[in-house]
Amino acid sequence: MNHIPKMQKQPPKMKKSYNPFMFIAEAFKNLWRDRVISVASILVLASCLVLLGCFSLLVVNINVNMEKLVSLNEIVVFVDYDLPDDEVQYIGQKIRVLDNVESVEFISKDDGLESMKADYAGFEDVFDEMKESGDNPLSDSFRIKYKDNSKVTTLDYNLRQIEGVRKVNNRLDLATSLESFKNGISVIFIGFLIVLFIVSVFIIINTIKLAVNSHMEEIRVMKYIGASDWFIVVPYIIEGTIIGIFSSVIAYLFQWYIYYSLEKMVATDIQMIELASFGDIGGIVALAFLAVGILTGVIGSCISLHKNLQA
Amino acid sequence: MIEFKNVKSIYKRNNHIALDDVSFKIDDGEFVFIVGHSGAGKTTMTKLLLREMVPTSGSIIVNNYNLKKLPKFKVPKYRRSLGVVFQDFKLFPKKTVYENVAFAMQVVGTPKALIARRVPAILKSMGLIDKAKNIPEELSGGEQQRVAIARALANSPEIIVADEPTGNIDPQMAAEIMELLIWINQKFGKTVVVVTHSENLVNTYQHRVIRLDHGKVTSDRVGGMFE
Repeated sequence: MNHIPKMQKQPPKMKKSYNPFMFIAEAFKNLWRDRVISVASILVLASCLVLLGCFSLLVVNINVNMEKLVSLNEIVVFVDYDLPDDEVQYIGQKIRVLDNVESVEFISKDDGLESMKADYAGFEDVFDEMKESGDNPLSDSFRIKYKDNSKVTTLDYNLRQIEGVRKVNNRLDLATSLESFKNGISVIFIGFLIVLFIVSVFIIINTIKLAVNSHMEEIRVMKYIGASDWFIVVPYIIEGTIIGIFSSVIAYLFQWYIYYSLEKMVATDIQMIELASFGDIGGIVALAFLAVGILTGVIGSCISLHKNLQA
Repeated sequence: MIEFKNVKSIYKRNNHIALDDVSFKIDDGEFVFIVGHSGAGKTTMTKLLLREMVPTSGSIIVNNYNLKKLPKFKVPKYRRSLGVVFQDFKLFPKKTVYENVAFAMQVVGTPKALIARRVPAILKSMGLIDKAKNIPEELSGGEQQRVAIARALANSPEIIVADEPTGNIDPQMAAEIMELLIWINQKFGKTVVVVTHSENLVNTYQHRVIRLDHGKVTSDRVGGMFE
């Protein structure tokens, strides 16, 4: 039998030294050794993120287009006939300071007649005759755009209270219906989004659990030789984080490509639809992917480890 | 030192009494066989020694740790004071021989430089230096068990617990492994506890034998035989 050199009777007293890079290196080694499971986990996580991303962007764009549709609504206020100009301007000032008013455009009765003339092609001479004879049946008016559709009833009431206002034309019923429709659609789609998110998180966590469970025997041996729980857990947490980061990067690139292609298609073929620019929302998408990816990776690792560490 | 005092262990699931009023003391530097047929309570005793479970009553003192009162967070530290060798080796299948031994030292926070000096020395003494870069499946059963012993020795524990260490290897290799354990006991004064059901092993080496039968110690003799 050979001699065992430097074997002490008592365990050597030494300063403990845990190198954080050792844990990171160990995590990368584990990922490489189980590369099939690692790649599968990354792909499952990336697919779920893309699915979540697509649905989230769908909800965002439905909102954008519904907002656009709702914002077509405006109110037209007609003042009393033959009001002096200074009183008409005074009414304009009163309208501008009202709550929920975004913009006010003054339309004189002559401009109104011109506008009608343009709308009724073939009857131009009738309108010309009215103008020449000074027999314009219209009054001066204001076209008002407002900010918040939900407060339009209050605005309508306030406009009617202004002295000198003869008539208020609005599309209150249409605006309310559109607002309700938009809210309903949002609730349904956000509900779907939450369900999809829960299902995705469940799938991701189970995929990560599969990866960790394949190391169950290894974890048992680590415990037998005296590894503390944190020593066992840290490399798996790092593994979960790495899987999350890789998945979110892949998912982001894929999402960007899909959205970019869609933006191009909408710009050329379906111009009636408006898409939110990826430049504006890309940062949020990237952060959300990273957060969901890392969180689910880490949570999946923790849940599986918790079970295995009880052994 | 290992001391069992009136240890009783009952499995709650089926109320099976695995150990009943077991008492014995193993002094530092002893070499002891714990023997018994299947169902005698050997596995329960090993689990108690590894603090995988606690006794229902009685006390177990190992290396000055009272295992019944040992809080969970101190279990890893206690296990580091033991070197454990299993029948099925329990090596990390994807780590090399070097990494398997080094890992036991990383667990206790041994500096990298010390690991780099000590692991080759241990592997050399076990005749495994040429296999340092191999993974366990590339080794014979006897070689794998020698790696397991090298890992058990890595942190210089006072006690080596070997659970059926020759169960998975051929008789010639089994003799080599036993020689190795005896050498570790004699050369370095380590306490060695071999849990086994092998008659040949016990009768060949003539050390102290604690015999278990149906959860009770039925004999405890130096130079005893497997009866």
